[in-house]
Amino acid sequence: MVNLMRQISFFYLLMLLIACKPKAPENAYNSGEADFSQFMAIGDGHTAGYMDDALYRTGQENSFGTLLQRQLSLVGAQEASIPWMDNGNIGVNWNGQSRLFLGYKTDCQNNTSLSPLRISPQGDVNSFSTSAYNPNAKFSNFGVPGLRVIDLVSTGFGNPNLPSHNPFFARISKDQFNFPGSGAFSTYQDNIFDGGFPSFCSIYLGIEDVLPYAKSGATTNPMSPLAGFPGVGFEESLGQLCEQLYAQNVKAVIATIPNVTEWPFFNTIPYNGLKLDEDKAASLNQIYNPLGFSFVVGDNPFMIADPNAGMFGVRPAVPGEKILLSAPLDSVKCHQMGSIFPFRNEFVLTLDELNEIQTRIDQFNAIIRQKAITYGFALVETQNLYSKLPFGFAFNGVTLSAKFVSGGVFSLDGIHLNPRGNALLANEFLKSMNQAFKSNIPLINALNYNAVLFP
Amino acid sequence: MHTYKPLFFWTVLFALSLLNSVFSQGFQVNFQGQKQQGMGCAGSAFMQDASTLFYNPGGACFASKSQVNVASTPIFANVLYVDSATQEVFRTKNPVGTPFSLYSLIKPKKFHRLAYGISITTPFGSTVQYEDAWIGRFAITRLAMKVFHVQPTVSFKITDNIGIGAGFVWSPGEVALEKDLPVQFNDGTFGHAKITGKAMGFGYNLGMYYNPGGILTAGLSYRSGINMSITSGSVAFNVPEGLVANFPNGALTSSLPLPAVTTLGFNVKVHKNLNAVLDINYVGWKTYDTLSFDYATNTTSLLDTKSARRYKSIFAFRAGLQYVAISDDSGQKLIARIGGGFGFSPVQSGYVTPETPDANRWYGTAGISYILSQHFSLDASVYATRIQRADTNFETGLSGTFTTIAFAPGLGINYKW
Repeated sequence: MVNLMRQISFFYLLMLLIACKPKAPENAYNSGEADFSQFMAIGDGHTAGYMDDALYRTGQENSFGTLLQRQLSLVGAQEASIPWMDNGNIGVNWNGQSRLFLGYKTDCQNNTSLSPLRISPQGDVNSFSTSAYNPNAKFSNFGVPGLRVIDLVSTGFGNPNLPSHNPFFARISKDQFNFPGSGAFSTYQDNIFDGGFPSFCSIYLGIEDVLPYAKSGATTNPMSPLAGFPGVGFEESLGQLCEQLYAQNVKAVIATIPNVTEWPFFNTIPYNGLKLDEDKAASLNQIYNPLGFSFVVGDNPFMIADPNAGMFGVRPAVPGEKILLSAPLDSVKCHQMGSIFPFRNEFVLTLDELNEIQTRIDQFNAIIRQKAITYGFALVETQNLYSKLPFGFAFNGVTLSAKFVSGGVFSLDGIHLNPRGNALLANEFLKSMNQAFKSNIPLINALNYNAVLFP
Repeated sequence: MHTYKPLFFWTVLFALSLLNSVFSQGFQVNFQGQKQQGMGCAGSAFMQDASTLFYNPGGACFASKSQVNVASTPIFANVLYVDSATQEVFRTKNPVGTPFSLYSLIKPKKFHRLAYGISITTPFGSTVQYEDAWIGRFAITRLAMKVFHVQPTVSFKITDNIGIGAGFVWSPGEVALEKDLPVQFNDGTFGHAKITGKAMGFGYNLGMYYNPGGILTAGLSYRSGINMSITSGSVAFNVPEGLVANFPNGALTSSLPLPAVTTLGFNVKVHKNLNAVLDINYVGWKTYDTLSFDYATNTTSLLDTKSARRYKSIFAFRAGLQYVAISDDSGQKLIARIGGGFGFSPVQSGYVTPETPDANRWYGTAGISYILSQHFSLDASVYATRIQRADTNFETGLSGTFTTIAFAPGLGINYKW
């Protein structure tokens, strides 16, 4: 009996030792035909890490450009060099405001709910007067919020003496805030090619050539023209950049412009979000019936200003039209904005305006695709990701969508991606690079990156 | 060497084994008899002990003596998940689980055509816990499902060659399901949800056993499907304060169908010391079509869920050999067994989930019995398999390859009188 127990136990132990875990496959990462050793990210705020309506440190750490480079470091990319903002994470936007966070806000009707709020009364404006340039460590991330294709060779772009200059570029430019009159200002391109060419570039440009116009409700900030010399027209401005890279044998990946008007900034307030009870409907009918517009109890289209709409330049919004997130919501709730007082043009994109914007995006994208072919760049169709968002898609057990705050992809400005969205975008780049350069770069585990944080 | 060491070892192992379990086709666990486990889990037409109460109640009346069998089979299962997009690798934790079986069969001296008994078995169950922060954490982090079948059974010889049997199955169970929620606290940690509930169901087990007295015996058995209904489950959320109203803790109801199993078995006495057995199972997994959770309180963030499972009914083939290696004047002393089987997976492409990373499987088994005395005997068995399944789940989008290695050594003690 004892002997038997001993034998069985021995047998058991032996089997336990053999009962091994499944072996993980060896990683087979490789850079394929590309050389990522001197990587550089060229682009706008997406590349820089602008999010929650500001440029701030945590955003930079989770920018599309940073995440892409982190992944490329698995196949030989150098360590990232980034023009860091202050650690305090206050951040700053064009208007000197701080970043947004999700907090409790009590509205004009005394209802408290979660809402994006500024984290500080004033943004980190110091960073605009402090140079981040370091002659000994060239930046690998040259993302500049607001950078348009037509800004690439502009000498005014980094000149702080001009009101139209870009302060995000001035702080990283090699000019280090030239004293007034102390010489010419260098261009964006002078800076990125200063001291040598990269071995590989990501180019994600063009959004800023249309977005400011769309955000203004198609009132100001005209879209970049197609034609014209470098610095004027989109095609030649982009062409000369590609040409330079090509001449220096730099491989690159370039991306198309997403359909920006599908983003939460343009889709959070529904065109027919005017909810009326009996009294309100009646009083609006009194005002508007003479103009031929009537209102019902329940959901109604907002009233918008449209100079082409009859004698009074007022009409109800129609399906497909966009009320922008810049519209003051308290005025809507408590001061009859969107009803008695129609939404001003700057808060609305009409169907004609949407059509105009989409046409220009399509034209720019045709140029981008053609450049990719001409110069042998990998091409990223960003709509592969963005087109899934309006309806949402399942990703590792999570539904991701373009829904404001809760969709998990966009930051609180409704325009720029949050860290998780940036990871998804970087994955689109990696997929197209793997295909174009026969590399094996693993994609990013995007759900490890933050979406909107809740109090 | 002293005996206490192995005994101590077994005690520890048994304690460990109460932690959890994972396994077999779908969440079926085919470890209800050590002798069958030695022969590829076949043997429903080869009545050797009281485990026939489970495998074929019709065989019980052919038992020559009253007996009690107790057995346990710790399962050591390790799952590896390789995500196809990130090429990241994740594993399960706490890989030990334990199906057990307890049988008591009474053979009345006066009514030799009759036998009755009771069994407690664990024919369904699954426990799987993935490592922290694994890529599928929003689908599942942990599942612990236990189902016990308590089955009083009566068996009767309607002729000298044919026995029939019927058992009533009372099936209590419990389930705990946990996952992370894609809402984040200010420090970046994720919300979490835990569903718990007790389940209950009823069924039956019928069998017919044919023993013409020659070289062949055959058996046919049918274990009914059981609907395990969870009528008073509860869900507990851990979410940021700002979202508490969206995720109310509270009651829920759900149900889980256990499939019917039809088994046709054969046993051929090839030689006076050698038997060959074959079992063909048909498992009615088609009943597991949807897993739904109905929350008592719904909000815009917490809707009732219906997840498609779309299992299909499957066949499994099990076969084995038994060889009496040593016998003396008092009878058989040492018996050796070997076997194996193949089972189709009930899980269709597009529906593989991390709680049941199932695949078509081949497996091998071996076993021995040692007859200590007229009353006592010991059984041991071992089961091993490796399965692999690559899939992209339609519902969650999880896309990768699950590889499972499982190893299940079992031990049983029998007492006859």
